[in-house]
Amino acid sequence: MSTVELEGEAERRPRIPKPRRRTELGLVLLADFAVVGAYVLASLGASASIPGNVAPLMVAIVGLSLLAHLATRWLAPDADPVLLPLATLLNGLGYVMITRLDHHLAGLQATWSALGIVGYVIVLVVVRSSRDLDRYRYLLALGGGLLMLMPLVPHLGQNINGARLWVRLGPISFQPVEFAKIALAIFFASYLVEKREMMATPTVRVGNRLITDPRPFGPVLLTWAVSLLIMTAERDVGFSTLVFAMFVAMLWMSTDRVLFLVLFALLLVFGAFLAAHLFPQVNERIANWINPWPHAASSGYQPVQAEYAMGTGGVAGTGLGLGHPGDVPIAYSDYIFSSFGEELGFMGTSIIVMSFALIMGSGIRIALRARSEFAKLLAAGLTVTISLQAFFIMGGVVRLLPFTGLALPFVAYGGSSLLANYVLIALLMRISDEAGG
Amino acid sequence: MNRQIRKMGIVLALLFSLLFLQLNNIQVLQAHKLANAPANPRVASRLYDQPRGDVSTADGVVIARSVPTHDIYHFLRQYPNGPLYADITGYFSLIYGTWGVESSYDSYLTSHIQPVRNLSDVITAGSGPDDITLTIDSVLQGEARSALGGETGAVVALDPRTGAILAMYANPTYDPNALASHNREAVMSAWKSNIANPSNPMLDRAYRRSYAPGSTFKIIDSSAVYDHDPSLATKSYPYLTALTLPDTNKKLSNYAGELCGGTLPTLLAVSCDSGFGQIGLDLGASNLVTEAESFGFNKVPPLDLPGAAASTIPAASAFARNLPGLAYSAIGQEDVQATCLGMALATAGIADHGVIMAPHVMSQIRNPQGRLVKSYAPHPWLTATSAATASAVTALMVGVVQHGTASNVAIPGIQVAAKTGTAQTSTSSGSNNWLEAFAPASNPSLVVVVVVPAQTGLPLDTTGSEIAGPIVASMFRAAIQEGRVK
Repeated sequence: MSTVELEGEAERRPRIPKPRRRTELGLVLLADFAVVGAYVLASLGASASIPGNVAPLMVAIVGLSLLAHLATRWLAPDADPVLLPLATLLNGLGYVMITRLDHHLAGLQATWSALGIVGYVIVLVVVRSSRDLDRYRYLLALGGGLLMLMPLVPHLGQNINGARLWVRLGPISFQPVEFAKIALAIFFASYLVEKREMMATPTVRVGNRLITDPRPFGPVLLTWAVSLLIMTAERDVGFSTLVFAMFVAMLWMSTDRVLFLVLFALLLVFGAFLAAHLFPQVNERIANWINPWPHAASSGYQPVQAEYAMGTGGVAGTGLGLGHPGDVPIAYSDYIFSSFGEELGFMGTSIIVMSFALIMGSGIRIALRARSEFAKLLAAGLTVTISLQAFFIMGGVVRLLPFTGLALPFVAYGGSSLLANYVLIALLMRISDEAGG
Repeated sequence: MNRQIRKMGIVLALLFSLLFLQLNNIQVLQAHKLANAPANPRVASRLYDQPRGDVSTADGVVIARSVPTHDIYHFLRQYPNGPLYADITGYFSLIYGTWGVESSYDSYLTSHIQPVRNLSDVITAGSGPDDITLTIDSVLQGEARSALGGETGAVVALDPRTGAILAMYANPTYDPNALASHNREAVMSAWKSNIANPSNPMLDRAYRRSYAPGSTFKIIDSSAVYDHDPSLATKSYPYLTALTLPDTNKKLSNYAGELCGGTLPTLLAVSCDSGFGQIGLDLGASNLVTEAESFGFNKVPPLDLPGAAASTIPAASAFARNLPGLAYSAIGQEDVQATCLGMALATAGIADHGVIMAPHVMSQIRNPQGRLVKSYAPHPWLTATSAATASAVTALMVGVVQHGTASNVAIPGIQVAAKTGTAQTSTSSGSNNWLEAFAPASNPSLVVVVVVPAQTGLPLDTTGSEIAGPIVASMFRAAIQEGRVK
């Protein structure tokens, strides 16, 4: 790192407020207002009383979001102004719904949210430049691989709902794959940017034709194959598909070769076919995606109940605290989207879809403006990851896709998912800040 | 690389648009269908999470109420003394819907937005269920059950001046609490065991099951005589033990082979079958059927409860080639069938000077603030006969108590009019035992009809007087004690 650049960094941190941060502050406070309002309404709806802990809760929510905002002001003053408010809104609405469904989980989720904000700040502190990440790509690839392997370690891994995606360390359970997806995205971005020329252009002569040198694909394919194998061993389809899609998207964005898209689309279909044959729960989910109604009392109970819930919500919803989202099993995590569909209606679900669309838009804008090729591809890869994760689970709930047990980023209950997605947002903020906005 | 990133953004935006379209499909286009699908548990929740109105008897005994619960729903429907009022309240079931008052006044009992009627309502109205007060008298209802004891049968007591039903009870009955449980399995097993029970406890046999009315039908014969052929009223019928019937070698035998005959008052007092068989033949099918229909036969009574059955008599044309059938119908057998309520309404036609008032159980509906929402306005259902005929038949029925088969319902100081009925169902299974009565004869305020049909456990040679008489008598005693009959 040259001295000129260091001075440049110093120049970009004056104490005067930047217009982008002022926008962010306004939006964060607006999101806080919406969340506290929703919290009061949910309590009024459920028990016709204003919750007693509303004041400390308001302090906690406003305090946490202001902490994140101030950290951004200090550590990434030129970063995008909408990502943090959107994360605050989604996290807050998710918290309100979880409180309304299960008080015990709500306390834990509050802790995870605080940890998520701390994680966000730590990433901004530690990762001062996206190049730092580029430097550690093989370490990150290894780390990602180990994280994914963790659930397979005897005594450490846990089977939950047929998938072995959890690790239990003392009192804490977490899903390492949520973190692995970020590590892999960094590795893919770093590696693909370096080798993209070789992968995109035919350079090797075979007979009288030029073909693409297969060697650069080696490590990438290996990583990908290992991650798929591990997740096959863990019997999870959601994350395998997500990592797979992230990989294909990044490969295509860096090489612009449609052949890869076609090839991997075929592989995905083949993989799905294989998974449906190997894992009974995958077969079941495909059957319930096509038509859950004949199995409404057995395996199709959850999707059918979710549709009843969302239909009952209609356009405006029953109102927070006034519906029966708990009739859908696992309403606080896998099916939290249908809980919003019931109590906040089409308007509420639209707000959530639009929030993710805005996150996606900001991510794409950050990628387009990023200074280095690596930062570009990383930002695009992270954006694809969080967008597809949201799309897969929401699409699964509304039966646009087969159901995958992914967590709805920021909204669903779960510490690993919250922390990982705050880290993901922090990385996008870092890249955005570097480009000066 | 920017070109591809932009394209990727467009692809992701398209995916979110697909999500948006599917949300439109589920939450807008299909919303109504999904929200009201019978299997959607929220349909039940809408009903079970809100209080439902109270149902009380006329004297203020609550017979259906909602109590707060902390299980899967917020309110449980309870029927204190459930089996006693089951045929009236009906049930409010998670699985089997509603019946009885719960069904016919469902829109009032369900919590709803209260209309604003004046300025103070703007503040107090809001939403809530209405409460219903019935015409039922808890004392008479309780008396009906204890008088009936363990016997299968039905008791109907009503006020002939208004059509208000004061008691309506039948054995066997069921417990609506079991059907109102929040536990689906318990509800289903209670229902199934009721359905599987051969005694059919959920039949509401006071107003949904008809039996051959036997000699209680003779008040309609008598009325027909005055209305269609008054000359028969003074005709003296021969003393016979059995009536020789046309077109057959069968004979219509008197009860226990008794010898009877004479003019109408005597015939009715001793319930002479041979005499009334001949009166039926003398009147002709057309007159008899017309008279029965004007007393409510072949018409479903406009009772404000679901499922009421009509009492029936074949069309006049059916008797053209079946004169023996006409004679048997005149004594309330063969093809004539009547419900306990049906005979109570026919009796009320005599008691109320020829007019049958529409039967009803609802008296008043009040909103949560206690303001009157609706009260039942008594109105005539049918004009059964003229006041003169009614008065003449009343005199005949007084004779039945004073010196005839219903002497055991006589009450000192109060003139009772009555008619017994003993319809042989078949020689091997005993008879349907009826008694219809009203009092005081001069200004009737209470009609009581009791039917105890043929059943195992009863001797084969019972009579209406012997079996139903004491039940009617104890109903009258209870009513007198209350001051209802003076």
